[in-house]
Amino acid sequence: MTVAGFQIPERRAAWRWARENLFDGPWNTALTIGMVAFIGAALYGIGTFVFVSAEWEVITANRQLFFIGSYPRDEAWRIWTVIYLLAGLGGLSWALWSRISPWLAGTIAIAMIPIFVFLADGDVAFLTLGSLAVFGGGYSLGKTPALSGRFNKTARTVVVFLWLASLPFSWVVLEGVPTRLWGGLLLTMMLTVFGITIAFPFGVLLALGRASTFPVIRIFCVGFIELIRGVPLVTILFMAFFLLPLMIEPERTILFGIPVTGVGMDTVVRALAGIVIFAAAYLAEIVRGGLQAVPRGQKEAGQALGLSTFHILGFIVLPQALRAVIPALVGQFISLFKDTSLVLVLGLTDLLGVARQVGAQPEFFGRQAETLLFIALIYWVIAFSMSRASQQLEKNLGVGER
Amino acid sequence: MTEDQTAEGDGEKRVGTRDIIEATGVEKWFGDFQALRGITMTVKEREVVVIMGPSGSGKSTFIRTINRLEEHDKGTIIVDGVELNNDLKNLEKIRSEVGMVFQQFNLFPHLTVERNITLALSHVRHLKKSDAKDMARRLLERVGIPEQVDKYPAQLSGGQQQRVAIARALAMQPKIMLFDEPTSALDPEMIHEVLDVMKELAETGMTMIVVTHEMGFAREAADRFMFFDEGLIVEEGTPEHFFTNPQEERTKLFLSQIL
Repeated sequence: MTVAGFQIPERRAAWRWARENLFDGPWNTALTIGMVAFIGAALYGIGTFVFVSAEWEVITANRQLFFIGSYPRDEAWRIWTVIYLLAGLGGLSWALWSRISPWLAGTIAIAMIPIFVFLADGDVAFLTLGSLAVFGGGYSLGKTPALSGRFNKTARTVVVFLWLASLPFSWVVLEGVPTRLWGGLLLTMMLTVFGITIAFPFGVLLALGRASTFPVIRIFCVGFIELIRGVPLVTILFMAFFLLPLMIEPERTILFGIPVTGVGMDTVVRALAGIVIFAAAYLAEIVRGGLQAVPRGQKEAGQALGLSTFHILGFIVLPQALRAVIPALVGQFISLFKDTSLVLVLGLTDLLGVARQVGAQPEFFGRQAETLLFIALIYWVIAFSMSRASQQLEKNLGVGER
Repeated sequence: MTEDQTAEGDGEKRVGTRDIIEATGVEKWFGDFQALRGITMTVKEREVVVIMGPSGSGKSTFIRTINRLEEHDKGTIIVDGVELNNDLKNLEKIRSEVGMVFQQFNLFPHLTVERNITLALSHVRHLKKSDAKDMARRLLERVGIPEQVDKYPAQLSGGQQQRVAIARALAMQPKIMLFDEPTSALDPEMIHEVLDVMKELAETGMTMIVVTHEMGFAREAADRFMFFDEGLIVEEGTPEHFFTNPQEERTKLFLSQIL
């Protein structure tokens, strides 16, 4: 408007582009008009539903159910402990690995807003803000001259160990409440995070085993991978549910000489075992692809220097193999995240389970569309964040710079 | 480039008397194909042996048996007093005494130049980090590229990469260096910078076996010359002998093709 000289030719160019590409001939013109009408109608329909006819009270009234299922409110401090721990570590990591782009963090934060809007009531909003403060605290700690300068390397190592330690720690803290009461997003995230972190090393081992020169190991790994890949996840979950208790004595299991009571009976553990077995087989095939992409000369160069097989693998072959398959690995992680919704068949109420439960509440009868849209949004936000994070990781590791 | 180099002749380099490599009747099959058909040769300390031969003649396979990247099927190979066979307990130890430079450089692309050199120093020689880094810097200076220490291999030219590969092998302070066509993958203008490093190495008295077709290098640095064909040593002698008076028809034909 202000600089007319720029506006007019631009608009003309746009019009010419449209005329050449969208309206060249009667057939294309009809197609364009048809598509515009269809998209418009769809947007209008969804828009009216979301902003006019939908009754979002079904979400706000059940917000606790969506996020933590039947986890008792009195015990919610356990969850907050874990969230604060992760927020602090997250802030610290961001500061220490300064190559994480603010753009990535921004995307995730903005995508999270709708979820927090639904979450926010009284103490929850307060505690959420608190976790942001802890995140900021971790960030400032990581940006102190000592940690960003001289002790940066040490700090990074410590933080990596803290991340690893935070997993069993979180499980122990949350397990103060029996796992059968876990539900909603909490259960989905626990299954995802533990599923990925346990399945990944197994997948790598299976891939290495498949490439092994020992026939027994190779045959076992090939057999395992092919067997698992030939069976649907639902079947594996059922098998984990019914067969694991037969293999592990239900009441008292001896793990490393320590009697552990009731592990075999725990439905969440059984579901997790099923997910891990399933994901490990798929991850193994992805990692195998990466191993094959590393030229033979790399191993030979390591051998010629006198490095042991173990060192060659750990320092030369695996880093290159895994780097080459980051996109496929993250794709498999995202798949695993979404596949956790199948634990529904074992009677667990994960995010999808809660949506079904809420849809059955008499006072919100017929409000399934709202609940499904809402959980779809949550699934999408998390899956999208994982995808962006993977792109960031690829960039940081300089994939493709050979 | 071979013309005026005859005058230099430091042909009086003191080759030792002890055999550091003794190969006797070495044979090797790949499936039905016999790559080595009975190689018998010895290399003395501080000797520089150049191996030539047409492709598929077994020359690369042979030098790869010396650090056991290929296992031989028959015959014996004794490297610095240790016989190479399947009972070998500390193969890694022996390999670390024998440096190798490959045609395709085989640098580790995910590690910096410095880390390429220090990796084995830390995990095979168990050197302290600072000592390993010092060593890396010294060697990079020796091969003429100290400024590339923090770069990644992909950021270097082919000639620079091969010089890093030589530095990496030298870092282990090997008793023997094997070169498997070290300049074949290089652009012509980069060949000389790698050959210069190799010549300098030969002058310092390193025991070297070099598979190459670089006549200039052979003439200037080699103590002995071998011609391989079809898995056998066809002819053997001083470089002089080869350039002035080759006996075998196959040698003559080959030399006429590459000269």
